[in-house]
Amino acid sequence: MKNAAFFFFILFMVSLISCKKPADAPASSITTPYQITIPSHFPAKLNIPSDNPMTVEGVTLGRFLFYDGRLSGRTDPDSMMSCANCHIQANSFVCGINNPKYTNGHPFGLTGILTPHYMLPMINLVWADHGYLWNGSVSEANPSPRPQNIEDVVWMAIQAPHEMHGDTNRTKTLIQSLKGYPDLFMKAFGSETVTIRNTGKAIAQFVRTLISANSKFDRFLKGQEQLTTSERTGFVLFMTEQGGDCFHCHGGDGNPLFTTNLFYNNGKDTVFDDLRDRYHVTQNLSDIGAYKAPTLRNLVFTAPYMHDGRFKTLDEVIDFYSSGVVWSPSISPLMHHVATHGVQLLPKQKADLKAFLLTLTDSSFVTNPDYSRPLKMPDEK
Amino acid sequence: MIFIGMILSSCHKDHSPGITALKSGTVQIDFLHSVDGNPLVFDSLEYVTSLGNQYMVNDLQYFVSGLSFHASGGAWVYIQDSCAIHYVDARIESSAHWLIAQHLPAGNYDSIGFIFGLDEADNRTGRFVNPPERDMFWPEMLGGGYHYMKMNLKWKNQAMQETMPFMFHLGIGQMYSGTTADPDSIIGFIQNYFPVKLPVSTVISANHSSSIGIEMNVGGWFDGQNAFDFSLYPMGIMQNQSGMYRAALNGRNVFSIQPIVYN
Repeated sequence: MKNAAFFFFILFMVSLISCKKPADAPASSITTPYQITIPSHFPAKLNIPSDNPMTVEGVTLGRFLFYDGRLSGRTDPDSMMSCANCHIQANSFVCGINNPKYTNGHPFGLTGILTPHYMLPMINLVWADHGYLWNGSVSEANPSPRPQNIEDVVWMAIQAPHEMHGDTNRTKTLIQSLKGYPDLFMKAFGSETVTIRNTGKAIAQFVRTLISANSKFDRFLKGQEQLTTSERTGFVLFMTEQGGDCFHCHGGDGNPLFTTNLFYNNGKDTVFDDLRDRYHVTQNLSDIGAYKAPTLRNLVFTAPYMHDGRFKTLDEVIDFYSSGVVWSPSISPLMHHVATHGVQLLPKQKADLKAFLLTLTDSSFVTNPDYSRPLKMPDEK
Repeated sequence: MIFIGMILSSCHKDHSPGITALKSGTVQIDFLHSVDGNPLVFDSLEYVTSLGNQYMVNDLQYFVSGLSFHASGGAWVYIQDSCAIHYVDARIESSAHWLIAQHLPAGNYDSIGFIFGLDEADNRTGRFVNPPERDMFWPEMLGGGYHYMKMNLKWKNQAMQETMPFMFHLGIGQMYSGTTADPDSIIGFIQNYFPVKLPVSTVISANHSSSIGIEMNVGGWFDGQNAFDFSLYPMGIMQNQSGMYRAALNGRNVFSIQPIVYN
C-alpha cells in the first residue's frame, strides 16, 4: 500500500514535469509565492498585475536578468547592457550624478543617444500607481498592446535607441542559449522556452521587491527614534501649508511613500517644448509642463533632480521652491506660493528642511544583498 | 413603519429583528456638481463670485459620512461601518456614486442627513492607507485625520494680471496662542465638519432600488452672507481657522436634492 502511494506520487510528479505548457503559461503550482511584508504605515494595496503573481522563482530569475548585460542580445563586452548599467543600487537605482560614464547623471544608450529624461529612482514601485515614467505614459489605462506596466518597460528598454537599441528576438535567442536560464524559466513560468513576455515578468517581479522602509523617519514614525531639533523643525516646514508645503504633492506622515504618484507643473518654466510631458499623454492643457512627483526617499543618492536634471544638489532644489517658482497658465494649483516665487524660506529654515529630507535616507536599501548583483550568473560555474 | 433608532451596523448586514429582507430596498446616492445651475466645468475661468472674483476649479475631492434617513415622527436609519464614509473626486465619475445598502428598510422617508467631512469618531489618522483616500491626509501636527475637502482652484480679480492658485482646503482647525500659525503654538483644535439635512420625499420599496441625487453648488462656497474673498487668505486656509469657519458656514447651504429616480 505504501509502495503504491509512492508510485502514484512519482507518477504525478513526472506528469507535472512532462506536461508541455505554453511559453506564457502562468506559474505552475510548484512555484513558491513571494510574500511582501507591508511595512508599518505603508499602503495595503499592492500594484501587482493579476497575470504576474510574485513568486520566489520569478524574483530569482528577474534578479539575474536585471543584472545580465546579455539582455541587450549581445555578448561583446562593449555592447552588452543590462538594467543595472544605469539602475545602480548604490544610487537607489539611478545612475548617479557622479557616475564616471554618464556625465551629470544623464544616461545614454548603447548608441550614445541620451535618454529623453533623467532617471526616476526605482523605489517602492510595488505601490506605484497612475502610470510609470515621468509622464505616466506606461499605464494600466492604456489599451493593449500599448505599454501598461513594468513588464512592458523591459521590452521597451531592449528596443529603445536611447537604451539597449536591441531586438527582442535576438535577446530571447541569446538568453535561451545560456546554460541555466531555461531551467530558471521552467521553475518560474513552467516552460524552458524564453519569451520576452516572461523576461519582462521576471524583471518586474524583482523590481517590485525593491522596498525602502527603514529610514530614520520610518523609525521615528514607529516611535523607535527621535528627530533632532533641526530635523523636527524641517518636518514641520514640510508638513505645513504656511511652511514649505511639500506634503500636498510628496506625502508625509500620512503617506510614507513620499509621493502621491500624481503629476504637477511645479513652476519651473514659462516655456514648454518637451514632447514627453504629461500633456502629451492626456492632451489636457492643464497638464502642460507637468511631471510625476518623484518619491523623496533616498534623495541623497538620487541627484540630479527634476525630469531634466537641472538641479545638481538638494540645496538647489530647496532654493528653487523657496524663491525660484515661476508662473505659467498650467502651473499646478497646489503651487499657491507662486505670487512670491516660492515659499520664501530663511537660510536656517532651508537647513532645517534639508535636515528633515535627509532623514528619508535608507542606507539599508542601497546595501541590501537581496537587491544586489548575484555573485554568479546562471551559466557561470 | 420604520422603527425608531434602528441602526444598520453594516451595509450588507441583515436587519434587526422585525425587519425582513423582503421589506427592504437598495439606495444609491449620486453626487452632482454645478455652478449656477450648470454642470461644473473644470479648468475653465468662467465663474465669478459675488465679490466679482473670477475663478476656475481644478480639483474637487471630499468626504461625506454619517448618512442617515429620516421619517416623519422621528424614526431614522443610520448607516454605519464599512459604507459609512464616501470619498468623492468630482473628476472621477465612478466616485460620484455611493451604493448604500442592500437592506435599507422599506418605507417613506422625508429627509436625509449626512456629515460633510468626518466627525471626531471617523476622522482617525491612519484609517486610510491606500490612495485616493490616503492622499486626503491632514498633517497630524495640524490636527490629524483627513482633509474634509480639497478644492484646488485659480482665481483673479480686476487688479490681477494672471490667475493665482488657491487651495480651498477644509479640515480640523487650529487655535494658535500667538499671531503666527506656528504649529508649536497650537493650544487647541476645532472641528469644522458640519451636518447637512436635506428634505426629500423618498419611498424605499421592497426589492427595488432608488437613486437620490445630491447636488453641490460649488459657487455656494464663495457666495451668500459669508462671501469669501480669496485675497484675504494669501496663504490658504488650512492654518487659518477664520477662513475655514467662513467656508464651513457657506458649506451648509451648498447642497440640494435632485429628482429621485426609482428603478
